[in-house]
Amino acid sequence: MLLSARLREFVYEKMKVKRLMYWGTRWSLWPVHLVTSCCGVEVAHTSAPGFDAERWGVLPFLTMRQSNVILVEGTVTRKMAKVLKYVYDQMPEPKFVFAMGACAIRGGLFWNSYHVIQVDTLVPVAAYIVGCPPTPEAVIRAFSSLQQKLSGREPPAIEPTKRDLTEVLPPARPMAKQTVEAKA
Amino acid sequence: MSKPNLPPRCPEGEHPLHAKIREALGDKALALGRLADGTPCVLVEVGSLREVAAKLAELGYDHPISISAIDLPAEGKLAMDYIFVSYLNRELVGHPLHVRFEVPRDEPRVPSIADMFPYADYEERECHEMFGVWFEGNPHMGRRFLLDEDCCIDERTGKYLYPLRKDFKVPDWQIMG
Repeated sequence: MLLSARLREFVYEKMKVKRLMYWGTRWSLWPVHLVTSCCGVEVAHTSAPGFDAERWGVLPFLTMRQSNVILVEGTVTRKMAKVLKYVYDQMPEPKFVFAMGACAIRGGLFWNSYHVIQVDTLVPVAAYIVGCPPTPEAVIRAFSSLQQKLSGREPPAIEPTKRDLTEVLPPARPMAKQTVEAKA
Repeated sequence: MSKPNLPPRCPEGEHPLHAKIREALGDKALALGRLADGTPCVLVEVGSLREVAAKLAELGYDHPISISAIDLPAEGKLAMDYIFVSYLNRELVGHPLHVRFEVPRDEPRVPSIADMFPYADYEERECHEMFGVWFEGNPHMGRRFLLDEDCCIDERTGKYLYPLRKDFKVPDWQIMG
């Protein structure tokens, strides 16, 4: 191990600087908008006076090289994916990516498209924000869950509520096969 | 059994602008019709497209708002649809004109009108990379405009594929990732 790496580990672990640093990161998550789609409108609303996410240290910032969070707001096309990867590599540590909206998570409206990719296949994602588009409350919730993760606590787990709908709905039909069989 | 009324063919119908368009185009207009939304349409031949566009410009149509194609693999044809609109001519405002013709699907070659209508350049480049229509005279043919350079390339031959054609297959994403 290099001397510099050993020094860094000593400062981080033994001198408890890591905890201090995470405390600082926790209250200064400055997101940069990667407004590739309509979710950007909701993020603008998040920082507006109505919700005022700056109460939790969420300050929208200008460039990705000078901040620590990328908010991917919507569809990421193949052209934009190159840009996202490029700026993510340029960001200083610690860095986090939020995938916001159905398009960023699983393609959404453009699922199985020839020109759209999922964000988590490209860069590690710290939190998913579900919805189409998600509400400002959901954006704030994602930030607070990341803050809890940084402070060492488990973030709130969200699980879908399952209900038995067999009484109401007819039984699901098997999916149609798309194979073309040769006629005898 | 009658043939279904496919999009390239002009449905029959009357429109107040028909007389004016017929006078301007003469025998270049093969058929005049009216679409379901009430706009006039005209059927022409591929070879006479540049003359038709020049005469429509004289008539008062400013720019083509859309140049698109419809893929008809069963017939082996691409149905082209040019929509001309006018901002300044009071008579033509609100009456976009559809100019339609068919080209063979294997080798779709259409004369470019980008030198007459500068806006047609972008539309032609988009139509070229989505449908593979070759616009003769446009200097940007064979290059990528909207699509990524690494996208939609045939793995075996290395040639560009055209994603809006009906035989294009998207690489499978697997259900829900």
